[in-house]
Amino acid sequence: MTESILVLDNVSKSFARTDADAITHALDSINLTVRQGEFVSVVGPSGCGKSTLLRLIAGLIYPTTGEIKLDKEKVEGANPDRGMVFQKPTLFPWLTVRENVAYSLKVQKKYNDEKDEVDRLISKVGLDEFKDSYPHQLSGGMAQRVSLIRTMINKPRVCLLDEPLGALDAFTRMNMQDELLNMWRENSQITVMVTHDVDEAIYMSNRVIVMAPRPGRIRECIDINLEYPRNRLSDNFVSYRREILGMLDFGKKEA
Amino acid sequence: MELQILTKQELMEMERAPKTKADILVDYVVCFLPVLAGAFCLLEYYLLPNYEINTNTNVYGVFIGIIISLFLAAFIVSFKSKTVFNKLRYKAPFYSFVFILLTVYDFLTLKTGTLMLPYFPWADRVLNAMISDWRYLSDCAKNSLILLFTGYFSGAILGLITGIACGYSKKINYWVSPFIKLLGPIPSTTWIPIVMVIMASLFKGAVFIIALGVWFSVTIATITGISSVEADYFDAAKTLGATSRQLIFGIAIPYAMPNILQGLTQGMSSACTSLMVAEMLGVESGLGWYINWQKSWAEFSKMYGAIILICLIFIVVNKVLAIVKKHILKWQEGVVQ
Repeated sequence: MTESILVLDNVSKSFARTDADAITHALDSINLTVRQGEFVSVVGPSGCGKSTLLRLIAGLIYPTTGEIKLDKEKVEGANPDRGMVFQKPTLFPWLTVRENVAYSLKVQKKYNDEKDEVDRLISKVGLDEFKDSYPHQLSGGMAQRVSLIRTMINKPRVCLLDEPLGALDAFTRMNMQDELLNMWRENSQITVMVTHDVDEAIYMSNRVIVMAPRPGRIRECIDINLEYPRNRLSDNFVSYRREILGMLDFGKKEA
Repeated sequence: MELQILTKQELMEMERAPKTKADILVDYVVCFLPVLAGAFCLLEYYLLPNYEINTNTNVYGVFIGIIISLFLAAFIVSFKSKTVFNKLRYKAPFYSFVFILLTVYDFLTLKTGTLMLPYFPWADRVLNAMISDWRYLSDCAKNSLILLFTGYFSGAILGLITGIACGYSKKINYWVSPFIKLLGPIPSTTWIPIVMVIMASLFKGAVFIIALGVWFSVTIATITGISSVEADYFDAAKTLGATSRQLIFGIAIPYAMPNILQGLTQGMSSACTSLMVAEMLGVESGLGWYINWQKSWAEFSKMYGAIILICLIFIVVNKVLAIVKKHILKWQEGVVQ
């Protein structure tokens, strides 16, 4: 298998506003390259187009100008190759946990060949007991785990995480950060995560991208050179934290 | 007690306040109440003298007797089974009240003649009328049901197709929805006089009327359901590889299911109304027609018999619909415990 590479070449995205005769420039000239095995986090104040960036890569929306390429192939439309996990678990409430996880295989008509994978992933996140439960019977953390494996079952080349842990309590959140890291290490797929939590970004990623708002653009890319598993209290960790938080504050003052 | 083998029943009992001896006694008296009320009903029927020339048969007595024995059986079983006990304890006061109502009605009609024939036949007379005419009645019931279901299912299927098409395609919605908005609020029975004239057969006309009402409510419900699907579900499904066909059949329709079933239930009640009106105005068979026909002969007992039969049929139909609904929507919060 060749190494995957995701390239955003001068990507901009503008939206026509519905409430006024104007357009919003959500993203302006984004250049970004992410290689296989990289875990990139995107942080920045709200309104800086973080989510838009992910939706563009997912193919849910199209760039106004510029191009997104995955392995030299232009990204057009959604594809299970570029999996996305949303802040809300978005589990289909009319399907059981098992059916939700199998959904993607079923729509791609691959279910019969990979049935066992469904059960393997469910036990991996420790939800064997809840296989036949419906989503409303799960806690927030459990639902998000199901949502995660529902995407991972496709072994996507790119995994897009849109604040996947944003709605969870602090303890569940820290546990799931490790689970996410394990999954990433196992498949070593390109991972781009949007988060509000600078701590989480430093704890998990190789690279943190700091964005600035109106129009959304990349302010800075910071490589995190720390060994996994990372110690949240180490001096280096704290100094990365200071650096990134400083940048974000600085951004606020300027805007 | 071992926590692992604790059943829901036992847990609920543990959490309830403990019952005193008096409470338990009251419970059993209440459970026995329907039997007592039924016996009272029978005594009134057999022991009081009839008013003037009024006559009575054993049909009513046997009927009440059967119901009493059912309650007696339930009472005996309730000592063994907690579920039967809980059900009986909950329902017993109401059924006792029904027995009292029957007794009062019997007293006012058969025994004292306060409510006079032919408008107020006593229950025994209605039962006898139903029995003597049962062949004809069941034939009418069969015709009504054929008409009801032909109309209902054609309306429901067309409604689903229209609703899904409108929810799926803006273009179709553009052309279809104004007509729905214009024609929808008119009760479908309004069209009966016209349809009866235009349509080749009265049966087809009635099917059309019934189907129209069902079609309307199912279409509206389906459109509402599909247009309220949260965009997040579509996004998630797309990134999981769903095609636009799969988005409709795998996401939009299941999501809209509660609305669709709501529309189907509403459609059923409109279908029942249309059925009765159509039968009374034109179709020459069915229970609605039977009622009208017997009324013109002043055979009110037979008329009441047919009304009771209609009641029973509609109860069964709606019960079946509710069971289907519960089964399909088992994923909804509050349906599965």
